Amino acid sequence: MKKFWIVLVNIAIMAAILTFVVLYAGYENRDSYRRQIENFENTTVTMERVTENYLEGEQRICDVWAQYINNSNMTMEEAAEYIRSSHVLENTSAHIISTDTLTGLSTRPGIGTADEYEVSYQRLDLLKNTDWIDEIGKSINITRAYTNPMNGEQSLAFCNMVTLRNPDSDTAETAVLLRVIPISDLEQKWVFPQTELVNAELSMIDAGGDYILKGHNYKNSSFFEFYKSYNQTDPESSKELFDKITSSTGSVSMINSHGQECILAYTPLSATSGWTMLGLVPADDLKVDTENHVLFIVVSVGLLILFLSDLFYMRYLNKKLQIAARKAESANKAKTDFLSTMSHDIRTPMNAIVGLTTLAEKNPGDVESTKESLRKISLASNHLLTLINDILDISKVESGKLKLSPLTFSIVETVENLVNISQPMIKEKNIEFSFHINQFEKEYLYTDQLRLNQIFINILSNAIKYTEPGGRVSVDLREEHSDVTGCIKLIYVVSDTGIGMSPEFMENMYKPFSRQVDSRVNSIQGTGLGLAITKQMVDLIGGMIDCQSEQGKGTTFTVTLDIPVADRQREDMKLEPIDVLIVDDDETMLQTATDTLTSLGANVEQANNGLEALGMIEHRHLSGRDYTVIIIDWKMPDIDGIETIKRIRSEIDSQIPILLISAYDWSDIEDKARAAGANGFVSKPLFRSTLYDKINGLIGKESGSVEPEDDYSDLNGINILVAEDNDINWEIISALLAMFGITTERAENGRVCVDMLSKAEEGSYELIFMDVQMPEMNGLDATRTIRKLENPWAASIPIVAMTADAFSENIMECLDAGMNGHIAKPVDIKLVIKEIRRIREGRV
Amino acid sequence: MNMKKAISLLLTATMGLGMVACTGPKADVDKGFSPSLDKSTSCHITIAGGYDNFEALETEFDRFNEYYPNVELVFTKVDDYNNMIGTVLNGNDAPDIYVNYSWMYGREQYASCIDHAENLADPSLNINFNCIRGNIILNTDDGTLPMVPVFANTYGMLVNKKLFEKEGLNVPTTYKELVDVCNAFREKGYANPMMGFSQKETTSLFSLTIYPYFCGTVAGDAEAVKKLNSLDPSAGEYLRPSLEKVTQFMNDGCVDLDSCEQIENNYDAVILRFFEGDIPMMTCSGDTVSGTKKRESRSEAFIANPFDYAFVPIPVSDDGAYFLDMPNLQFSVNKDSANLDMANEFMRFLITSRELNQMAMNKGLMSPTKDLSFNNMYAAFGNIPESRILSPEVIGLTDDAVIQMRQAVYLVGKGEMTIDEAVAAYGTFTQ
Repeated sequence: MKKFWIVLVNIAIMAAILTFVVLYAGYENRDSYRRQIENFENTTVTMERVTENYLEGEQRICDVWAQYINNSNMTMEEAAEYIRSSHVLENTSAHIISTDTLTGLSTRPGIGTADEYEVSYQRLDLLKNTDWIDEIGKSINITRAYTNPMNGEQSLAFCNMVTLRNPDSDTAETAVLLRVIPISDLEQKWVFPQTELVNAELSMIDAGGDYILKGHNYKNSSFFEFYKSYNQTDPESSKELFDKITSSTGSVSMINSHGQECILAYTPLSATSGWTMLGLVPADDLKVDTENHVLFIVVSVGLLILFLSDLFYMRYLNKKLQIAARKAESANKAKTDFLSTMSHDIRTPMNAIVGLTTLAEKNPGDVESTKESLRKISLASNHLLTLINDILDISKVESGKLKLSPLTFSIVETVENLVNISQPMIKEKNIEFSFHINQFEKEYLYTDQLRLNQIFINILSNAIKYTEPGGRVSVDLREEHSDVTGCIKLIYVVSDTGIGMSPEFMENMYKPFSRQVDSRVNSIQGTGLGLAITKQMVDLIGGMIDCQSEQGKGTTFTVTLDIPVADRQREDMKLEPIDVLIVDDDETMLQTATDTLTSLGANVEQANNGLEALGMIEHRHLSGRDYTVIIIDWKMPDIDGIETIKRIRSEIDSQIPILLISAYDWSDIEDKARAAGANGFVSKPLFRSTLYDKINGLIGKESGSVEPEDDYSDLNGINILVAEDNDINWEIISALLAMFGITTERAENGRVCVDMLSKAEEGSYELIFMDVQMPEMNGLDATRTIRKLENPWAASIPIVAMTADAFSENIMECLDAGMNGHIAKPVDIKLVIKEIRRIREGRV
Repeated sequence: MNMKKAISLLLTATMGLGMVACTGPKADVDKGFSPSLDKSTSCHITIAGGYDNFEALETEFDRFNEYYPNVELVFTKVDDYNNMIGTVLNGNDAPDIYVNYSWMYGREQYASCIDHAENLADPSLNINFNCIRGNIILNTDDGTLPMVPVFANTYGMLVNKKLFEKEGLNVPTTYKELVDVCNAFREKGYANPMMGFSQKETTSLFSLTIYPYFCGTVAGDAEAVKKLNSLDPSAGEYLRPSLEKVTQFMNDGCVDLDSCEQIENNYDAVILRFFEGDIPMMTCSGDTVSGTKKRESRSEAFIANPFDYAFVPIPVSDDGAYFLDMPNLQFSVNKDSANLDMANEFMRFLITSRELNQMAMNKGLMSPTKDLSFNNMYAAFGNIPESRILSPEVIGLTDDAVIQMRQAVYLVGKGEMTIDEAVAAYGTFTQ
């Protein structure tokens, strides 16, 4: 309704403008028309002056002749001869007509004759009465248009009375001298000067309305009759009009013989008595309204365009406003939903933590119950931490502040970490898990490891989470050739036999807080942010993510990334020519491991199960060619890896080095395996470097990368300076490190840390764990100050950030300030130990 | 002369056929005008004549401009037309079309008018004359057609219909009825049942009344016509029946000559006297009739007591009236015209029933076309049987012979000469 009124008002305004334009244009037209009429009147008056001058000029010539004749006592012949000799213009002639006989002489011979000069006016009514001819020089004496008796041309004549001498009687006789001018001569000169008046015509009438000179468009012999013939008028009005025309200057509208409206301008010819000059022009010739039409059309079209564009623009703006309003509404709802979700998702693990903590406090004597509570608190805490990290990540992603912090890292470590993290869930859900790698040549890559981990972990943890117990999850990680120079193509494929996703959900699965509506899903903890973050990470790294899923059958995610290869790689890894037997029921695993080992220089033989392996080992043993190393998978049909090892040790040889491999967490079976005779453990997937290091370790060769696993003796006695302003955090880290025999000293802030280090003796501290946000002096400034210390030991002491500032730019800030590493709070003690070892071994 | 006679007979037959054709389908007669030149042609056409005013023709100019808007047509009055037109045609102002008269044909002094005229019968001009009554088309010795009539003329009388209706009398159609009507009016107190101009011989009431009758007496008598044309005194006998008729007419008391003598001229005065409203019948020519319309407003008596009137033939024979069919104004095309094609195009436009009738109606003259019914004023002439339509052109009487007849009739009618004297004087009358 409102819109209708707006349109109506617009149309009304347009109509008002157009009406104004039309009225104004009409007024302008009328005004212009009026001016044109005035101009035409003035032109007619000008023409009257010109005509008057012309008539006076012609009359003057006639006067001069008459005067001369009168003064010279001439006969008619003499007068004719005199004038003949005075003629200048060829077309003019003079007639001298006796008033008695109305005959006389012409100065030009009759047409078709050479010497016939006699002329008669007897049959013309021009000279029967000569009263109208005034004295010489008094006025213009002009005849009406008449037919020249000598040549038949329509002519006018200027007259004077002359006195001639009769040669016979020697008496005076009167005659009329006529200076005769053809009208055709006058017509050529007698035109309106302006080009726009090309259709205008001049006429001259006497007091009775009879034409003296008649334009072509004038009809009848009388102008008044002509007027009456074509214009509605009554006798009184017409008389009034004719009086006006013959006595004043002005103009009037009239209809001509074509029914056309004309403007008649009139003005008295002052040099004559009662004559009037008439100018007649079609009214249309004086109307100049074409431009006004153009103006009207231009204004109309302009207004229409303006109106339509305004209309469309308003509609466009309204649409945009509606969209913006919807977006704002949606954003508001999203915020409400987010807060609601967060409230729920945070309160859930917090509820577990608070509740279980209360339970533990109330049952300090019940060790088992307390342990169980603490384990569950740990799980809830980890979930809460993941949730907080995800929220922070997605907020950074959405604000566009997420930046990559590329570092050189080992893909082997990344995969190990991935497997380690996944193991507890796999074990808990009793999921069949396999992890295949293939063709891995480059161990060290250069990208944001943290983000790569997030991608790998998010996809794998989703697969595990949404796969029912007893289901299967497989990971396939491949290195392929990349078209991008200096990069490898890393293809990460995770397949599961989980609940799958509906096509509808898949359309929005990368949007934050999207979780499938499914009773099974609702029972699974999740933030709905994982996939959104993963997609953003993949996009940020410049990769692609693809998903194939079918509800009830499972899901396969494929991530393809072009990752730069780090400059530094492991030196050439070559084993001595040893014989290796690898035993696994997984054909793919068997093949990839064989390829890897072969590429390391080993002779590899394969067995698909324990029994076959036993047969092959026995055969070798009997032939005196024992395998140098035997690698056996734990989970196999018939007899598993541990049983196989047990039988090898008991039935064949107790010395052959045997490695037990597993895709599962083998901590539970470690004791059992060692008891059975296993010499070492390797987690799947079997990286080239892992196999190289493990085999070398078993056969007594040095390998720099072999890490102690449960032996923390190397950490004993290490003293670390911890800069931490928070008492609880200090207490936690010092207690955790103490578990590994590491001693710590506290600095309450950066200033204290710098002071303590400055005063410390060389070697007092192995390294410094530096909190960032502290009073007096923050960790970054403290690090910069330390790096500037004069004491070289102090200035070069390893400093690792231990801070809740966990974003990649925070890490970069720390490294830029001169730190050597970064550990995010809450701390994972395993990572802390790993970092200590890395620092000690001088790895970067 | 034999040749001339043969041509005359041939033309008579042709005209007769033309009259018959007049009753045929109209489409054959007049298919109307369609332009044959470029309509954007621009030129100036002058038509010369003796009229002070020729508004009827100027109206045709406007109609022609509907086809050719850029053609400027002008009517120019030539002073002393009959004498001057020859000079005009030879001068610098020669018109493209000019007025001509059949009486000029064959006369030396008017030779220029014929010499300058284009042969309008030339088939290439494609002018269709079928719409014009054949007996008013000029017969020439060589078969050419230098002029074509645009108006016709005849003699007759104006009748005041109101008076006839008032007195319960019918317009007479025979001589007896004429005498009876005159007597009846006289008995009803009308002093002048019939009047006419009598001061001059030209178009006197005697000529107007007897000329058709005279033509009837000699029509078809080639010998008589020949003698009359040669002004042979013995031809005076051919006048006797007509002279006896005028004597009878006067004796029967149809007119009061003294009253007629008071009418000063054969135009204005005749009309204005008729408009007084007390004259049932007024003899006059078609030319005079053309002036009636304009003069209605000049007659106070007519304005005060207007009445319907018509122009009818004068019944001087017991067998009925004759219709003396004569050409009036004729147009010739100047064969030396600078715009000859357009001049011919205008003639082609004008020589159609529609335009000629329209122009005749506007001018108040009789139309030269075969259809006279369109104008009530002349409709009575359309009812005259073909056998009583006479044309001096066809009969072959020369103007000189006619002048002798007029003089004789005038003098006898006025009682200034006896019948015998007039018969004997044939060939000796001077104008």
